[in-house]
This record gives sequence, structure tokens and C-alpha cells, in this order.
Amino acid sequence: MKLWRRRTDDIDEEIATHLAMAAADRQERGESLEEAQRSAKREFGNPLLVRETTRSMWGREWLDRIVQDLRFAWRQMHRSIGFSLTVIATLALGLGATAAMFTVVNRVLLQVLPYPSPQRLVLLQESGRRGDREHAPWPDIEQWQLRTRSFEDIGFYTLANGRPFLEGDTSANQINHLRVSTNLFSVLGVKPQIGRGFDDRKDQRFALAGDENTVVLSDAAWRDAFGGRKDILGKPVRISGESYTVVGVMPRGFAFPWNTGRTQVWTAVKLREPNDTRDNPTTTYSTIARLKRGVSIPAAVAEMKVVQADVAKLYTDPYSRDLVTSAAGIPYGDSLIKPEVKHALMALFGASGLLWLIACVNVTGLLLARATVRQREIAIRGALGASRGRIVRQLMIEGLLLSAGGSVLGLGLAVGLLKVFSHGLTTQLNIKGVTPDGKVISVLLALTIGSAVLSAIWPAWSSARASIEPALRQGGVPGNSREQRRLRSLLVVTQIAMSLVLLVSCGLLLRTIYTLRHVPLGFRTDHILVGSMAIPTYRFANQDLLENLYTPLLERVKAVPGVETATLMTEVPLGTNFRMIFSFGVEGNSADAVRKRDLQAQFRAVGPDAQRVFGFKMLKGRFFNEGDTPSSQGVVVVNRAFVKEYSLSNDPDKIIGQRMMSLEKGRPAIVVGVLDDTRQVSVASQSQPEIEVYLPQLTPASGFYQSTEGVAMDLVVRTERPSTSIVPELKELMRRASPDLANTNFTTMDQIVEDSYGNQQLIARLLIVFGGAALLLCLSGIYGLLSQLVSQRTREIGVRMALGAGRGQVIGMVLRQAGRMLTAGALLGFAMVYFAGSVVKGFLYGVTPYDAWTLAAVGGLLFASGLAAAYLPARQAAAIDPIEALRTE
Amino acid sequence: MARKNEYKNRIELVQGTLDMLILQTLQWGPQHGYGIVQALHTQSGEVLKVETGSLYPALHRLERQGWVRSEWNQTESNQRARFYEITATGKKQLASDHDRWRRMVGAIAAIMQPGGKA
Repeated sequence: MKLWRRRTDDIDEEIATHLAMAAADRQERGESLEEAQRSAKREFGNPLLVRETTRSMWGREWLDRIVQDLRFAWRQMHRSIGFSLTVIATLALGLGATAAMFTVVNRVLLQVLPYPSPQRLVLLQESGRRGDREHAPWPDIEQWQLRTRSFEDIGFYTLANGRPFLEGDTSANQINHLRVSTNLFSVLGVKPQIGRGFDDRKDQRFALAGDENTVVLSDAAWRDAFGGRKDILGKPVRISGESYTVVGVMPRGFAFPWNTGRTQVWTAVKLREPNDTRDNPTTTYSTIARLKRGVSIPAAVAEMKVVQADVAKLYTDPYSRDLVTSAAGIPYGDSLIKPEVKHALMALFGASGLLWLIACVNVTGLLLARATVRQREIAIRGALGASRGRIVRQLMIEGLLLSAGGSVLGLGLAVGLLKVFSHGLTTQLNIKGVTPDGKVISVLLALTIGSAVLSAIWPAWSSARASIEPALRQGGVPGNSREQRRLRSLLVVTQIAMSLVLLVSCGLLLRTIYTLRHVPLGFRTDHILVGSMAIPTYRFANQDLLENLYTPLLERVKAVPGVETATLMTEVPLGTNFRMIFSFGVEGNSADAVRKRDLQAQFRAVGPDAQRVFGFKMLKGRFFNEGDTPSSQGVVVVNRAFVKEYSLSNDPDKIIGQRMMSLEKGRPAIVVGVLDDTRQVSVASQSQPEIEVYLPQLTPASGFYQSTEGVAMDLVVRTERPSTSIVPELKELMRRASPDLANTNFTTMDQIVEDSYGNQQLIARLLIVFGGAALLLCLSGIYGLLSQLVSQRTREIGVRMALGAGRGQVIGMVLRQAGRMLTAGALLGFAMVYFAGSVVKGFLYGVTPYDAWTLAAVGGLLFASGLAAAYLPARQAAAIDPIEALRTE
Repeated sequence: MARKNEYKNRIELVQGTLDMLILQTLQWGPQHGYGIVQALHTQSGEVLKVETGSLYPALHRLERQGWVRSEWNQTESNQRARFYEITATGKKQLASDHDRWRRMVGAIAAIMQPGGKA
């Protein structure tokens, strides 16, 4: 631009020089100064024209003209500020929604994994009678490593037990601790930024002797816990009290598994039991393999299936063999995204795209209306010699400017929308702090141009094509062509149809949420506070946590004024932090034994008063009480679903008094009570079999103690006081009990229930926003078109009224027109709903995609609001004074 | 209408010859725009008067094509002016233009003087 300006100045100076020299020559020949200058100028011709044509030789005039067009467009925007703001706001709705959704899609679905050629990484799984099994025993993995040819290498890993803490220079922090095969990093194709990592030998995937206690830190762990000390290599660090030697630090941005929120560390897997059998392994592993170059996933999976068929034969127990008869492989990237999340995101992205289309169509209508008003101006420009191309370009540039305004505002809307929905996005999609990034901006830029083209090209083309002469003729009624009116009605009809689709989807999701809210959960959720206690349990290794920490704490909490009662529980119903599954180790392979081994029950350890806090209903027998102590008879409580699956009957009496399991060696437990069913896994899924044990009966010697109390514990408080006033008091109590409990996270049971509605809640809320915006645009479309038609038909309406048409008839005439558009739109919309049904079907609960009530309600809403929007122009038409109307023009 | 009378003594330049004339003029050394107008005027026996509206676009076109280059310099009367100078490629262009022009003139002459052929 600067260079361009300089060139213009240059030419101006050249022209001035020319004039000066010509004048000087003339003066020499005896002309007076004034006369010489005048004739020099006359002889020169038009300096401006010379400048323009000369400059155009440099071929940059298009830029110049665009700048000119932009300036003109800017002036136009200023002149009709109301119109411009309407267009910008309309486009901002569509662009903002789409940008926000794309931000989420980009973050969740289009993420780039931090490993080279990530498409060659495959998760390997065994599969059989009961579907895919995430984890495989080492002897099987060894067979895969030995027998398959499709993979460069196969690595494996497992999450370390318990709740691991890394002791840093200043404090201990909870981490994600993985035990990995020594070749895992080479399978992933990433080398440590410091150090060599684990010693890896082809014949030995486990830690070599002497290397058992080596650790590789993530960049975040290195920086947060050790301040990024350069001399970290070879230094001992402590994880949950155990000492490890640092052998490497991974590069920044590296994580494995991908998408876990916490800081990670990796230690080499120890082969704990050399005589581990495949039938009854102590540890099982997730397996990840790198495909050889050029080997496809289906080919690799086919090979795996053949190998696995042989591996299955090595199982001695027919029950176990049945579960591993085949194998499966999933691209690692795909395994990170749950199909329902992908489905939900694509549906929402589609919905936002639809809103964007509606906005564009709406703007097309607005620009067409504007073009009729500006028809005379455009005709004059045409008459003065502007070519069609030039006029189209001018109008397109105006469209682009409006669209750019819309996208700036839309970006703001997108950021706001993401902020408003951040809680839902975090709980449902596990993404925190999403903001539009460079990729989003470039997509937005493309959308901006897209909206400009989509909304402005039609109006621009039709204005440029319009013949000049009739528009210039005095008294000609501008833009009253039948064709254009029909076109605009068609646009409004399209908008109505698309809005209907969004509204129906929104209505169905609202019905779903409504139904979910009214599902009887089987327990009370009101006035309950839940504190998830994250405690470095390794520090209490040789003590009974319940006796030394939890029980005294519970007593103090109960003493707080306003606390009705409180209890402990490994995990509250519908919680998502800690889930434990119990299955029977039944001997034998009779049909009954197989069935019992298949039974998977939710396992929960609960404290005293759990029943009082949640109001669980007993179906039969009793709940735990003070009489149940570490020394008394071991007892368990099951639920109705458990009875049904275990004894194949609905009769709870059949199970009461039965021996079910052992709390510890030589300490059998009998069933003393049956609870009524509750929705404990998710609101939308039926009750699962559940088995509960009593915390006071578990001693540190019990295996259940190590996997429950020692890992997770929720403090559940029933109180009438508002959480804002009581939470600080509780936190203070916790802090005094142990400094490690100071940052316990409190939430309400109602919130936990809310979060467990899952994607539906997020989808419903976003659809309310999208659907509401669509309805608004649709109504403004109807209103805009009708009020323009009314003002264009002032004279005609005046004549009608002069001939005796009453106010009611005039109102009826306008409303009928609105009714026709609404009917056409609704019909088209319902046809589209038929196809959209299959998309939303997966998110619905207790309602079908073609639910008559929802369709009727949405249709009614659309008609009522559409007619209301039409009523304003109708009244305006009825208020026309026939005499005035006939006198004008 | 008054403007038309002013130009009636001049011959319209044949399309495409202006570039050639400019290059020809510049063969004798660098010259500024006004100088080129004057030179063409004198050398054509005061018949040709190039219009500035054609001259300057032509000069800039030639410069963009690389046939001339320009530089701001002082004239004899100490006036700052943009001097144009013919480049090596410009000279080649001139030669080929000249050649084409000669053939064209020959052809036109053959048509305009019938009987010469017989």
C-alpha cells in the first residue's frame, strides 16, 4: 500500500515537472508567466486522467478500486446504520454458534496426537463371548510379540494401583502413575528430552534386574515438582513413599495415555509373578502396537485373529477361554473418543451449521429488500457507466464488510458461549478452558467469505441485472417485481423449515431431560453435600484410616450446627471418580457357575447412617448397624437387581442368609438385607446389581480395605444449611484433621445428578440457544418481508379500502400471507425432521424422534409466534388511510 | 467543439507506433517526458504532437516491461525531472518494432500505389 502511494506521488511530481518545463519554454518565447502556465495546462490536458491511466499501467488498479469500493461500502454502512447492525447481528448469531462448535470439535475430534505417524498406533484387545476386553495377561501379549508379523513392536502398560502421589521438592501432588513396558516409548516413537529412558532389550520387555525402580518423568512433573532442575537424572524421587531413580524426562507436550488431566510419570513394569497364569493373572495390561509401514489395520487385525485362535487354546479353563477366542484392533486415536461423544458433537456442529445457513438466508432476504430501496442509486451508477461486474463487485464488497463485522461480533459470541457452557464441556467432554485458536480463526475467515458469497451474491446479481431505464423513470414503483417477491417468500419458507428442525430437536431433548428428571432415582438427592477426599493414603500405610482419620472426622462433622447426619462411602451413587466392579470367583463350569461368574456387581463400601443420608429403601432384611463390628459376623447388603441376576428370581427371601463372599481369609459374609433398586450408574440406565459391605467391618488386613478405603472416600453430609455457608466450615474441619484434606472438593448431590444426565443436558442447552436464535431470525424474516410488502402495497391496499375493504379484511389478508408461508415452511420442515430423526434418536430417553406431542407443540409455537410477528405489519396495513395512500405518488 | 479545432492540424498516431517512437527518441540518450514530446514534435517537422495522456502511460508501460528504466535527475536548467533511458532489451525491442514497421509500410505502400506491381 505504501509503495503504491509513493508511485502515485511520483507520477504527480512528474506531471508537475512537465507543466513547469512547458511553462518555462513558453515564457522564454515571450509569454507572460500567467499566460504561459495557463496554456501549458491547456496543452497538457487532464492531469488527473493522465495520472489515473499512467498508474493503471502498473496493473494495480484493481487494488485501488477495491479500496475505493471498501470506502464506499463503509460509507453505505454508516449511512444506514440500523440496517447494517441488523445484518451484522444476524450473521454474528450464525457465525458465533458455528465458531464455538468448531472450537469444541477441533479440540476433541481433530486433536493431533504428540506421536510420529499416530495413525500407525493400534490398541490390541482380546474379545470373546462377552465382547472386547480392555486388558490382556502378559503370557498372551508375549505370544503376540513372538508370532505376529504386522507390527514393528508391541508395548503394554497398566495404571498403578491406588492413589499415587509424587513427592516434590516442596509438596506432594497426586499424579497419574503408569507402569509401562520398557519398549513403550520406542513404540510411540518419542525419545526423552533428557536421559535415555528405560533400558530396553528385545527379549525382555519388563524392567531388567536392578532397574525395577527407575522412573521417567513428564515435562510437567519435572517442572512442577522439581523446578526443572537440570541435574535430575540419576536422582532418587519418591512416589507414594517408594524410591525411584530418574532415568529420563519426556518432552513438553508428550502424554500417554493421551487426555488424562493429571501430571504423569512412568515406571518400568515389574514382572511380579513369574508364574502368572493366563487363566488367573494378577495383573493385566493394555496393549499398544505400532504397525509396520504399509500394513493396514484390517490386515493386522486378521493376523491377530489367527494368532489369538491359537493363544485361546492355551487356556485350560473353558470359561476363561470363551472370553478370549478372538482379537480386535482399534486405531489409538479413535479409542480416545467415545462414539457417543463424536456423534453428539457432529450433531451439534450440524445444528450450528444449520443456524448459520438460516442466518445467511435471513441476510439474503434483508439484502434483497435493501436492493429494492437502492435500485435507483444502482441504476444511476449503471447509467453513469459502471459495468455489471463493477456493480456486483461493489455489492459483494458491501456484503463482505457486513460479514466481517458479523464474524468479529460472532467471535465474541463464541467466546461467551464457550464460557457459559464451560462446566458442561468440562464434565462431559473433559476439556478445560477452550478458546478459539488459529485454526478456528481461519475457519471463521472462510465462513465469513462463505456467508458473504451465500447471502450477497443473489441480491447483487439481481440488482446488477435489473434494467436501468424503468428504475430511473419517475414514479416507477421500485422493485415490485413479482419474481422477487416470490423469491423472498421462498427464502422465508426455507428459514421456517430449517428453524423447525432445530426447534423439534430442541423440543425432543427437553422432553428427554424432563423425563430424566422425573426418573425415580431410588434415593434422596436434596440437601446433600459430597466431599471427595483426596488423601495421600501411602502415609497411612500401617494404620487403620477409618479408625484414625475418617471416624473422628465424621464425628466432628456431625457436631457442626445444621448438620443432620453424615456418612462415608467409597463413591456416592452416580459418582464418576471411583468405580469398583465385583465378580465371583466361582469354581467349575456348570451353567450355573458360568452365570454367576458373568455376574458383575457394583461394589460399594459404606459407613454408618448411609441409609439415613440417602433414604435408601429396604426391600427385605436390615441395613448395617452398630452391631456389625470387625469381630462380629461378616455381613453384606445387596439390591433387587442383584437378587434377580444371582438367584434368577424376584424373591429376596431366597438370598437372605446366604453366604456370598469372604471379607478376608476365613471370614465369610452373609446377606442380611436387600435394598430396593436405585439408579446408581446413570440416570438413564436401569439399576445394576450391587453389593455393599460395611466400612467398620473392613480391617487393613482385608483385600477390600486396600482397594477401597485405602484409595477413595467420599464424605456425605445431609444439612439444611446452604452450601455457601457450610462448606468453608467443613473445609476448615478437614484441614485440621489432616493438611492433606485441605483441598477437598465439595459439590452438591443435585449437581452430581445433573452432571450424570450426560451429553443430553449439554446438547439440550446448546439446542435451546441454537433453536431460540433460529426462531428469532425466522420471526424477523417474516416480519421484515411482510412489512416491506405492506409498504410497497400501500397504494393497492388504499384502493382496496377505498372500495370498501374493512380493517379486519386487510389484517386477514396480511395474516393469510404469513399463514401460507408458515404452512409451507412447516410442511417442508416436518419432511426434514423425518430425516433428522435418525440423528437425534441416539440422544433421546423416554421419547421417540417423531413424538407427536413435541411436533405439535413446536408447530404450535412456530405458528403462534409467526402470526404474532405478522400482526405488526398487518396492523400497519390496516392503519393505512386510503385518501393519503391514493394521494402519494 | 472548440477543442476539436485545436487538434485538426495533427495526424493521429498509428496504433502501436508510439512505443517505437519513444524508444527511437531515447536512443540518443536519456530524456524526460517533456523532452520526448518536444523531440518528436521537432523531428516530425512539427507534425506529431504526442498527447501526455498517451505518453506517460506508454512510458510507464515500457518501464514495467523493462525496455526503459527511469531515474530522477537534474536538467540543464537545474530542474528535477524523471529521465528515461533505453535498456538493452529495449534496444532489441526497438529493432524488431522497426523491422515490423518497415514491412508494414512496404505493404501499405504496395496497396496504395496500384500499378507499381503490374
